[in-house]
Amino acid sequence: MTHIDQVPTPGAPLPVEIGVKAGAARTNPFARVFDELVRFAQSRSLFMLHYCTGCGAVELPPAMTSRFDMERLGIQPMVSPRQADILLITGYVSVKTLKRVILTYEQMNSPKYVIGICSCTVNGGMYWQSYATAKKLNDYMPVDIYIAGCMPRPEAVIEGLRGLIENIRTGRADAWKDYYRRYDYYLGNQQRLFGADWQTSTDVIAEARHYDLFGPATLGAHTALLEQHQRPLEALEMRIEIPELMRRRSRSDQDGTAQ
Amino acid sequence: MDWLSAMRLDALAAVDFHWLGLVLELMLMPLIAFVAGLGLVLMLRKIAARLQRRVGPPLLQPLWDIIKLHAKETQTSHGLIHEIGIVMAIGGYVAAVTLLPVPGMNGLAQQGGLIALLYMTMIPSLGLALGVGQCANPNGSIGISRALTAMLAYDVPMVIVIFGVAFHFGSLNLVHMIAAQQAGGVATWGMVQMPLLALAGLFALQGMLGKQPFEIYVAPAEIATGPMVEMGGKFLGGLFVMQCFQLYTGGALYVTLFLGGGEHWLTFLFKVFVVTAIPMTIAMVFPRYRTEDMVRLFWKWPTMIGLLGIAFVMN
Repeated sequence: MTHIDQVPTPGAPLPVEIGVKAGAARTNPFARVFDELVRFAQSRSLFMLHYCTGCGAVELPPAMTSRFDMERLGIQPMVSPRQADILLITGYVSVKTLKRVILTYEQMNSPKYVIGICSCTVNGGMYWQSYATAKKLNDYMPVDIYIAGCMPRPEAVIEGLRGLIENIRTGRADAWKDYYRRYDYYLGNQQRLFGADWQTSTDVIAEARHYDLFGPATLGAHTALLEQHQRPLEALEMRIEIPELMRRRSRSDQDGTAQ
Repeated sequence: MDWLSAMRLDALAAVDFHWLGLVLELMLMPLIAFVAGLGLVLMLRKIAARLQRRVGPPLLQPLWDIIKLHAKETQTSHGLIHEIGIVMAIGGYVAAVTLLPVPGMNGLAQQGGLIALLYMTMIPSLGLALGVGQCANPNGSIGISRALTAMLAYDVPMVIVIFGVAFHFGSLNLVHMIAAQQAGGVATWGMVQMPLLALAGLFALQGMLGKQPFEIYVAPAEIATGPMVEMGGKFLGGLFVMQCFQLYTGGALYVTLFLGGGEHWLTFLFKVFVVTAIPMTIAMVFPRYRTEDMVRLFWKWPTMIGLLGIAFVMN
């Protein structure tokens, strides 16, 4: 196993490309109209997966229920990462939590947006000196909107969501592409935290190739390190752990070999 | 050459073009069902919002949801059966809708009948079971086993109701049923003639639409929406489309059996919306039953009411 000190430090992040790339390549005159419609639909319908292990979660119920009612803006909670558009992270993420957050983020379908709520996601907040807290969320995944405050009130949460809606409608909320284009940078930061043999169940590089989101910084020193440790992804064996059943099965196996 | 062209014209005249009208109906009926279904989904969410003293979603919210889901740029497919399952789920309801007579259009109702319609409404559950099976997600598997158990529960009173209604009208043909109910006015409506069966049918409708307290296979807080857990993007979009058809089919079937269908579109859609609003309103004030409690309840009360209703009908 590679020691953590052998993981190269990720360099300064490359400048982020903002705006719709390859928009000029469209030849169909109706394509632009269609894009507008799709962007509008995307901005008016946001399914939200909230990862609420931090204390900021307490501000979400009033934002969702009758007091401020997010559903007016087309935002509704969803329960599985496959269905969600927004990953909403409230409060601090510990190193252990961050692993789950990254697994969840990679399972979501693009376009996907990350919102960091509370100061802790911005800079660690009051957990600045904690050894177990990941301080800047956007070192590990691209964040679309930060809503600062300790804690931000529901009005601020709604205001932040409105900002995201506006960004989506105008085509500026494409931070998710950045994860594919600069995967090496994000993976490097993840490796610095979790160890060199860190591997998720989603093959981000293959996805970047498949969806034509490959960028100059997708591959690098860290993805090379990943390839060294990478185990092929295979489905988990499904089995039922019932002692009685297991004993009976092993007995029948022995009988089978004896015959 | 003269006789040749004359013959050809005769042959052309002999060809019956009434099937063109049928093709048009088969395209229009699912389209109308989908649009009406969007309205029903909006009503469902608005009722939920109003009962919780919220404003609720804007007018075109169900449409934006579906467009957005189909416009996702990365799609997570788990294989061919996963995709076919969704097609089966929508296709079953599209087929069911063409068997449901609506004002001015009979579609395949003359040829199909009530049994074929019932059969078609079961296909979506089976398609979903296939599709979810390939996802290999434990939550999805639990959800599907619950969905099929729920089908077992509500189909018993449902079949009893269907049998009673068919016995009352002496026919399995939905067009005849509507004609019989519309000929005699409100007094001959199924609801007035067989109130007990109508009540049992309302129970079964609640189960068929999978609304609380019988929402056992979605159960978001328990098994993470069950069958939908691995569905994202176009797959979830397909299921949203299916939900539109499902609400419409349930409402329209009940209206056809018990409320005399519709003389024209205005009354028909009004009845469909009113009927569908009943389970939705009940749903929002109830929590969820356990699976075995649901089966026990369905095999006890609606079944008893239905059997009593049949006894009155056969009397």
